[in-house]
Amino acid sequence: MRLHIPRVATALALATTLLAASACGGDSGGPGGSSDDAGGKVTLRFTWWGSDTRTKLTQQVIDAYQKDHPNVTIKGEFGEWSGYWDKLATTVAANDAPDIIQMDEKYLREYADRGALLDLKKAQGLDTGKFEPDTLSAGEFDGGLYGLNAGINSFAVVANPAVFKAAGVAIPDDTTWTWDDFARISAEISTKLNGKGWGTGALGTNEAGLNLWARQNGESLWTKDGKLGVSPEKTTDFFKYVLKLRDMKAIPSAEFTSQDMNAALDQSAMATGKLAMSFIWSNQLLAFSQASGQQLKLLRIPSTDGKAADNGSYYKGSMFWSISSRSKHQKEAADFVNYLANNPAAGNVLLAERGVPPNTEIRTAVTPKLKPADAASAKFIQDIGKELGDPSPAPPVGGGQVEKIIQRYTTEVLFGRQAPDAAAKAFLDEVNGELK
Amino acid sequence: MSALGELGSLRGKKTAGQKRDNLAGYLFLAPWLLGLFLITIGPMLASLYLSFTDYNLIQAPKWIGLDNFTRMLSDERLHNSLRVTFTYVFVSVPLQLAIALLLAVVLDRGVRGMAFYRSVFYLPSLLGSSVAIAILWRQVFGTTGLLNQLLDLVGIHGKGWISDPSTALGTLVVLNVWTFGSPMVIFLAGLRQIPSMYYEAASVDGAGTLRRFFSITLPLLTPIIFFNLVLQIIHAFQAFTQAFVVSGGSGGPSDSTMFFTLYLYDRGFGNFDMGYASAMAWFLLVIIGIFTAANFLLSKYWVFYDD
Repeated sequence: MRLHIPRVATALALATTLLAASACGGDSGGPGGSSDDAGGKVTLRFTWWGSDTRTKLTQQVIDAYQKDHPNVTIKGEFGEWSGYWDKLATTVAANDAPDIIQMDEKYLREYADRGALLDLKKAQGLDTGKFEPDTLSAGEFDGGLYGLNAGINSFAVVANPAVFKAAGVAIPDDTTWTWDDFARISAEISTKLNGKGWGTGALGTNEAGLNLWARQNGESLWTKDGKLGVSPEKTTDFFKYVLKLRDMKAIPSAEFTSQDMNAALDQSAMATGKLAMSFIWSNQLLAFSQASGQQLKLLRIPSTDGKAADNGSYYKGSMFWSISSRSKHQKEAADFVNYLANNPAAGNVLLAERGVPPNTEIRTAVTPKLKPADAASAKFIQDIGKELGDPSPAPPVGGGQVEKIIQRYTTEVLFGRQAPDAAAKAFLDEVNGELK
Repeated sequence: MSALGELGSLRGKKTAGQKRDNLAGYLFLAPWLLGLFLITIGPMLASLYLSFTDYNLIQAPKWIGLDNFTRMLSDERLHNSLRVTFTYVFVSVPLQLAIALLLAVVLDRGVRGMAFYRSVFYLPSLLGSSVAIAILWRQVFGTTGLLNQLLDLVGIHGKGWISDPSTALGTLVVLNVWTFGSPMVIFLAGLRQIPSMYYEAASVDGAGTLRRFFSITLPLLTPIIFFNLVLQIIHAFQAFTQAFVVSGGSGGPSDSTMFFTLYLYDRGFGNFDMGYASAMAWFLLVIIGIFTAANFLLSKYWVFYDD
């Protein structure tokens, strides 16, 4: 009775293990077009990313729609931003894409250029008559409409008045503040909180920060013809500023920041009251306010010269509604998107959680009903309206990766592993390499 | 006459009963065979084809010959991912096997309640590559995690172990070492098979504990060590879940936990670069193949088969 693991058995065991190493694949092609399920039961799949707040509101709208359309069942598939795109890519590759997709500007061209999205101009029953032309054009290119604007937002500073109060620092005037003011105030808060909190989250965990920095200096992250528009010099300055924030202790430690980059919104440092300020998209004010249990406040992005009109801000399509080009129920999907965009009942539930409604009638109808946080973000969007710069060009194909790339180089800089100029050059090289 | 020859001569004169037996045999094999061809061989061949193409997941693949493979030569992030993976394999596997062997020897001494300890030590192996444990790891090694709370008790102010590029990979090594249970159980079984008369004879000759371990236990255990070594190396090369979950899918901070498999996934599903990702998968297969072949070649010099 000896335990024997002879060579043959070892070889066999490893052969089977080896095989698992390379099994990866995909499927291409598939049925398109809409089938007519007149009177029949139709199941639509609808995917979105977002916080609990968004998921609850969206589910409410789905329930209301299903009540009116008993033959349609809508299955929601939702998750956090990180992970959402991997999952979407996988389902699209497997020819199993959800019918209705919440899309981001970063990936819109990526999917549309490759024929994965339906041209909404050709979709039956989708009315865009009440949309401002500007808000429509964000989802439009090559003569087609591939994403319907689901809300307008803007990059902003979010402030937690409770943390300001705890530090005994007054909330500054955001119409005149400069980047130097921002750094100084943040550092002051960190000092006063003495380890219990910090002045601000790091700039550079989101490429929008770099874009605004570039726009304040006469450049722009992307050009209209789909290239990188920011120079190595300005990018270096940007990373130098990030480093300055670190050295002044305006931001938490590098470790803390790198951990916070991957945290879900509800567990992030801003939502848990560890930061007095951070950078967010204006429509996230509601989610952050609910997660933190505080009435947070939006502030304008600081500028170089102390003039808010020069801070490079722009209206962005916070997200878009897209329909899979391979959906078997395009008609029904278009009808649901139409409901999301144009029906007052949906508007009254969704309010401004995804950004200020681009449908002007809905916007007027819901404005009085907005929750305080949404009302504040809607007012913010309105207030900055007269200070805006040119629209910001959408990222080209391959540009979707820029967020992950800038996070990585910001981490390199914060840990002192790369100097700002080296990081700037490597960052730009890598982004260029991704553009197709 | 070789066994194959005998089989050949038997063929053709099968009885009805034998044929029925064979059919039954294949029927029982069918689920596994179907799985092998549909879930393993099929996708593997597809990925071999894709590795020579530019394939963005949505449009049809475009043949580009060896471009994907030449691109790997100049891909800095790929080189970094190789460094990370090799570090992980060569640090965690020896450590893990050493601990497994040590505990197996201790448990083999007839500790009371051995079945209990065996199960307890084996548990991490069952859980080790699960998402739940990886999430737990994030909590344990985070800035305000369990480890730092313990360190605080003794007055040391710990750092964010998983969010610092210099220690993040270390936490994953610890996680892998922690799953020493499965090699340990195999070691235990191997130890049980060493005839006690060898030890008795050695004791009579005056050999001490250490001497008995190095002159009897270790040599007779070499086939088992070899088996464990080969399997654990392959296993470690393929590690993915832990790094993916602990780093939030980013391989971060600063690519310090960017395993080869994670980078492969990132290229394929994050960057719509499935042709390149497929080429990487085949490259990994070749790397693992080379290491395994080397293991087998070297085994001649140190593995002792007592038969």
